[in-house]
Amino acid sequence: MAQNVSPRSGFGGSRKTNEGVSGGSKDTHSVSKRLHSELMTLMMKGDKGISAFPDGDNIFKWIGTIHGPEETVFSGLTFKLSLEFPSGYPYTPPSVKFISPCFHPNVDTAGNICLDILKDKWSALLDVRTILISIQSLLSEPNIESPLNTKAAQMWKNQETYRKHLTEVVHKNSN
Amino acid sequence: MASSSSTASTEEASTSQPEKKEETKQKKEDDGEESDKESDEKMFECNICLDTAKDAVVSYCGHLFCWPCLYQWLETRPNRQSCPVCKAAISRDKCIPLYGRGGSGKDPRSKIPPRPPPTRTEQTDNGRFSWGSNEGNGGFHMSFGIGAFPFGFFASAFNFGAPGTAPAGANFMTPQQIEEQEFLSKVFIWVALIFIVWLMLA
Repeated sequence: MAQNVSPRSGFGGSRKTNEGVSGGSKDTHSVSKRLHSELMTLMMKGDKGISAFPDGDNIFKWIGTIHGPEETVFSGLTFKLSLEFPSGYPYTPPSVKFISPCFHPNVDTAGNICLDILKDKWSALLDVRTILISIQSLLSEPNIESPLNTKAAQMWKNQETYRKHLTEVVHKNSN
Repeated sequence: MASSSSTASTEEASTSQPEKKEETKQKKEDDGEESDKESDEKMFECNICLDTAKDAVVSYCGHLFCWPCLYQWLETRPNRQSCPVCKAAISRDKCIPLYGRGGSGKDPRSKIPPRPPPTRTEQTDNGRFSWGSNEGNGGFHMSFGIGAFPFGFFASAFNFGAPGTAPAGANFMTPQQIEEQEFLSKVFIWVALIFIVWLMLA
C-alpha cells in the first residue's frame, strides 16, 4: 500500500538531504572561521604559560602547551595537550586530552581530564584560550572529591611527596 | 638687528612648537580613534561565532548574539537553556531583536535560521495513517452513522473538497502524500458506494 511507503523517501525527502549536505559544508566553514579567529586572539593576547597551535594543516586538531603554575608542585613542568574540535563546535565541547603524562587527581592515566566545563558545563563562549587557562588552574586546584586518579588524590595531601613522585615520574618519561 | 632676528627665530620656534604638539595630539587622537573603532567592532561581536553579529538579538541579561547562533545553541540543549556568557535562564522569548539603521526591520526570530537542525516532526504527523482525523490536511471527513439516519454516512463520505483545491496543510505535503490522499479518498468513495448498494439490496 502506498501509505506504507515512508514519505521521507519521496521527492521531499531527497530535497531535504540535499539541504542537509549543503548545511554541513557551511557548518564546517563557520567552525574553521571561528577557530581561525580563536588562533588570532590567542596569538595577539600572548598569555603567559599557555599556547596552542593547529597540528599540521588540520584546523580541527590543535596541540596545546601548558606550563605548570608557579608556586605549585607542577612549577617548571610543561604539559602537552591535544584538542580535537567536533563539527558541532562551539555548540559541543572539544575533546581535550593530555599527551604528556600528567599525575593529577582529575586526570586519568590515559590523559583524560575530568573537568565540568568540558562536559555538561560547556558554554559556546569558551574557547581554546579559556579552556587552557581552566586546565592550568585545575592543575593547582584539583577537585579531590571526585578523583579519576585516586592515588594522586591521596598523595595530594602531602605536597612534598607529591612533588618528589611527580619529578620522578616526569623524569622517567622525559628521559 | 641680530637681536631682532634672534627674536624672530625664537618666535618661529615658539610658533612651530605648538604646531608640533598639535600634530602629536592629532596622532594620539587618531590612534585613540582606531583603537576605539576596534573595540567598537568587538563590542558588536556575537558571543558564539566571534564575528560581527548578524540578525542580532540581545538576551535579557544583555548579551549579544547572532540569532542563528543563539538558535542553534538553544536547540543543542533544549532542557537547560542558559546564556552562554552568564548562564542566566534564557529562551526564544527572553531575547530582544536589535534593529540597526541598515537592517531590514524584520524580527530575526521570525526567520528560520539558515542551518536549523533536522526536525522531522511535521513529516511524521502527516505520514500517520489516521482514520477520521480532521487536521485540515485530509479534505474528507468520515463518520459511521448506521442507525436512524444511515444516509448521514452518504453525505459525509462525499464531503471531501473538490479535487485540485489545496488543503490547509498542503505546504507540508510531498507529491507522494497528495497521491496517497487521493488514493484513500477513492477507496472511501467505493466503500461508501458498496455500502449504499448493500443497503438498497438488504
